[in-house]
Amino acid sequence: MMKFASLLALAAVSLTALGPNAQAQSDFTADVPILHEEAASAGIDQSYTGGWEFFVGGGAASFDCNGDRLPDLLIAGGSSPAKFYVNESKTGGSFSFAPVDTGLKPEDLTRVLGAYPLDIDNDRHTDLVLLRLGRNLVLKGGPGCRFEKANRAFSIDGGRAWSTAMSAIWERGSRFPTIAIGNYVDRSAPGTPFGTCEPNQLLRPSAGDLPDYSDPLKLEPGYCALSLLFTDWNRSGQPDLRITNDRQYYRGGEEQLWQMTEGRPPRLYTASQGWQRLTVWGMGIAETDFDADGLPEYALTSMGDTKLQKLDEEAGEDRPTYRDIAYERGATAHRPYAGGDAKPSTGWHSRFADINNDTRTDLFIAKGNVQAMPDFASYDPDNLLLGGFDDTFYEKGMEAGIALNTRGRGAIIEDFNMDGMLDLLVVNREHPASLFRNLGAATDWGHRPLGNWVKIELDNGKINPSAVGALISVRTGTRTQTRRIQVGGGHASGQAGFTHVGLGVSERATIRVQWPDGEWSHPYRVFANQHVRIIRGEANARYWYPVAQ
Amino acid sequence: MNIPAGRRRWGRRLAAVIALQLTTAAPGLADEPWAERTQALGATTEMPTGTLSRADLDRLTETGKALFEANFTTLDGVGRPGATQAIDPTRRKHPRQQAFFRTAGPDAGSCAACHNQPASGGAGDFVANVFASEGFESADFDSLDPQFSSERGTNHLFGAGLVELLAREMSLELQSRRNEALSKARDTGKTVRLSLTAKGIDFGFISADPDGSVNLDELDGVDTDLVIRPFTQKGVMTSLRQFTVNALNHHHGMQADERFGARWTGSDDFDGDGKTGEITAGDVSALVAWQATLPAPVRMVPEIDGWAEAAARGEENFAQFGCTSCHRPALPLESLSFADPGPFDQAGTLNDRQVGAKAIYDIALLDWAEALPRDTEGRVLVPLYGDLKRHVMTDNQIDALGNELLSQRFVDRNIFQTAELWGVGSTQPYGHRNDFSSLDEIILAHGGNGRQARDAYEAAADDEKSALIAFLKTLVIVP
Repeated sequence: MMKFASLLALAAVSLTALGPNAQAQSDFTADVPILHEEAASAGIDQSYTGGWEFFVGGGAASFDCNGDRLPDLLIAGGSSPAKFYVNESKTGGSFSFAPVDTGLKPEDLTRVLGAYPLDIDNDRHTDLVLLRLGRNLVLKGGPGCRFEKANRAFSIDGGRAWSTAMSAIWERGSRFPTIAIGNYVDRSAPGTPFGTCEPNQLLRPSAGDLPDYSDPLKLEPGYCALSLLFTDWNRSGQPDLRITNDRQYYRGGEEQLWQMTEGRPPRLYTASQGWQRLTVWGMGIAETDFDADGLPEYALTSMGDTKLQKLDEEAGEDRPTYRDIAYERGATAHRPYAGGDAKPSTGWHSRFADINNDTRTDLFIAKGNVQAMPDFASYDPDNLLLGGFDDTFYEKGMEAGIALNTRGRGAIIEDFNMDGMLDLLVVNREHPASLFRNLGAATDWGHRPLGNWVKIELDNGKINPSAVGALISVRTGTRTQTRRIQVGGGHASGQAGFTHVGLGVSERATIRVQWPDGEWSHPYRVFANQHVRIIRGEANARYWYPVAQ
Repeated sequence: MNIPAGRRRWGRRLAAVIALQLTTAAPGLADEPWAERTQALGATTEMPTGTLSRADLDRLTETGKALFEANFTTLDGVGRPGATQAIDPTRRKHPRQQAFFRTAGPDAGSCAACHNQPASGGAGDFVANVFASEGFESADFDSLDPQFSSERGTNHLFGAGLVELLAREMSLELQSRRNEALSKARDTGKTVRLSLTAKGIDFGFISADPDGSVNLDELDGVDTDLVIRPFTQKGVMTSLRQFTVNALNHHHGMQADERFGARWTGSDDFDGDGKTGEITAGDVSALVAWQATLPAPVRMVPEIDGWAEAAARGEENFAQFGCTSCHRPALPLESLSFADPGPFDQAGTLNDRQVGAKAIYDIALLDWAEALPRDTEGRVLVPLYGDLKRHVMTDNQIDALGNELLSQRFVDRNIFQTAELWGVGSTQPYGHRNDFSSLDEIILAHGGNGRQARDAYEAAADDEKSALIAFLKTLVIVP
């Protein structure tokens, strides 16, 4: 693998000089957000620690646990206990987080690699799935950030695996979500760790009024998954399960796409169906839809270059054949852009978002050496790839202020102080997590706000209230932007809450929602710079306001 | 040629600047003093800041007036071959050859080409109507069919600074009321429903839930963000600054950096006419300053026997018929300090959060402001004869004002903002399409929320109707 990595490094270096983005770096004219690191002053002190089992993972979950709609946090600690923080930040102001006692025992919160928030039992309190080295825990959320273990109540075994990934979706007709758990190396298998990947798991709810996951399915073969995502890749209305796998440990493996059919076990897409073999050190999946055509693009982080996959138009309808557009879009992010280390990068969490509110999709990638791999960059700053008006990405991590010498893993891109500008939490290995506040664009007199925005919260009703699987379509002028409500992807990190959309100079937007059951809403007319609540069945959107400061 | 003194001073200053430029750089054709370009463009090199003295304000408004009256040329950047008239920067699918296009625009060489009745900044005759369309799809239309655009008369801008100040204070009042509802709901744990009023105008109700959500179903005549947008026939533009940026693009293809520049479009020449940086933020400031300081219309009774008596009776009728329920004779204004950029614009039009320091134009410095009436609390009573609120203007029987087919910016086709009647005696013809030749006709065209007053007028004796007309004709613009 190391020899291959060296070759990869060479290839990466040679790519650098010729990348389309290199020439155009100076042509980026939109706002570069200034991201100010203030974790310590905000009261967040959490490092992701531990031995080689914790070389991977290092996630976080962002969700509202006390009903004030501000995003609260859980940050994994690996060998240290995960910590909960309640968000007490003032609107538009500096961050303030306070540790919160959730009623859980410290031993339940150790060996946590990551977490994903979702409301499993439809009670409008967000639950959490903790991915652990050993038994995964399901925490049922209650009022006031109280949690109780719900493995027994939901009949979820939790297993003994080394779990590293998760995704969830409400399958059609189901009262409760289907949950996929991604597992890594089977440490008890002969010959471990190489070629001993643990199967993944699919938890489908049994029929009934309470969540019951007592009959899990194995997804075999497993290839050491590090990110899972239920995704409607072909706009069929039927999400399939995409898995990115770590080639470091599998033998004969590849990336996977499981075809999900209601009431049937999933089946892997095959080469004859158009699925092309791809092997990467898959760390994280991010989804976007650049042109809002309903056919998403995916960023796959890895060691070396990031893949940016677009469905190949020439492959034929409903064939999951992708071509890599990372190079033409300037998104390979294959080696550090700062610090002088020319070795290849190691990418982990990734997420698309509009971080400068200019309507163009940006891409964040957490970066960091696995531990001390000599063929890969040691100083490997996180990427902030801002989408340009020419449809290519521009690396602006240094200018933004996130080019720290830390080993990034999971991350959350969220508006923590409810000012409409996305902020950033990065979980670092063996280093305190970084929490960056988006100050806006720098000027000679201070910082000015970025473009307009809208944040949207969906209410789907009694089942799947937060509308996981819904598609939000936001129209401004001739431009349509879409966002899919998803649980999964990234690297061991998930978030729930308002969905953010940058609006640039538009002061109005028309929103339509395709609810999880496929029904389209009527258009909702909203003004910019508002937190919008769309409640299924209501004629008009509501607005939401944080507590006046 | 009779050049006003201000213009002569302006011309001398410009000549000096240009002479200096000519000595330091190889002159291009556009740099010659007689070049066919607008010399006032770029003259305001920095956005003004702080409270301007009368002299500084005069200088700024002089430049603003020069820009308002300038006939922009291709050397200035007139035309937008690669962009549509849309308020959001939108590229055309196919470039257009002609600089001007009567319907979809650019349709005017200068602002004053339409705003000229009875003087620069005034209204326009029917011939100066504009064709409002979103300009996103079907940006070109060569038909007057209202399915493609809404034909609108040109409004006058006299007193516009006061109108915007009123709107800002009303927006603050409404938003404070929203905050009050939210605070009470959070404190009590119950849904709180409060009436929304601003300066005595009723804008419906707002309901706030303890979780911070607000229900907006009962709003009346105002946008859901509770921002009063006082400009255009429809009441959909927030500020003079926003309207100026829109109109420069729509009517002239002159694109302001603050919306069409590289920050938001990736290009310094978004409209593809070969000219970069066509309108700077300073240019917009000058234009805003001039418009914001235009004198308020006044009340002037012609020295003709019987007119004063008739007008007095007509004013009483105006109230008795119920016209004042929407055409409020005056609204109180707390402050005459006009801040630019203002507080309620959003990205794409500069606002006070986007600049290091804003400028303050103190309207009280202006001679005409001394004549404004004040109430016992010292507030200026702005005699606009309007309420800055939108109303339904049609019903099943009276629907002449429902001739549009397109909604505009979320406002339905038959809903319009109450026309401010100050200056109505100087701005014939009438109606949002400028297609009512007499005041009698436009009064009788009021349906919907105006129906009751209209019926009262119709039922009145002819001499009482005549008296009302006599009153309305005393509301004039004196530049």
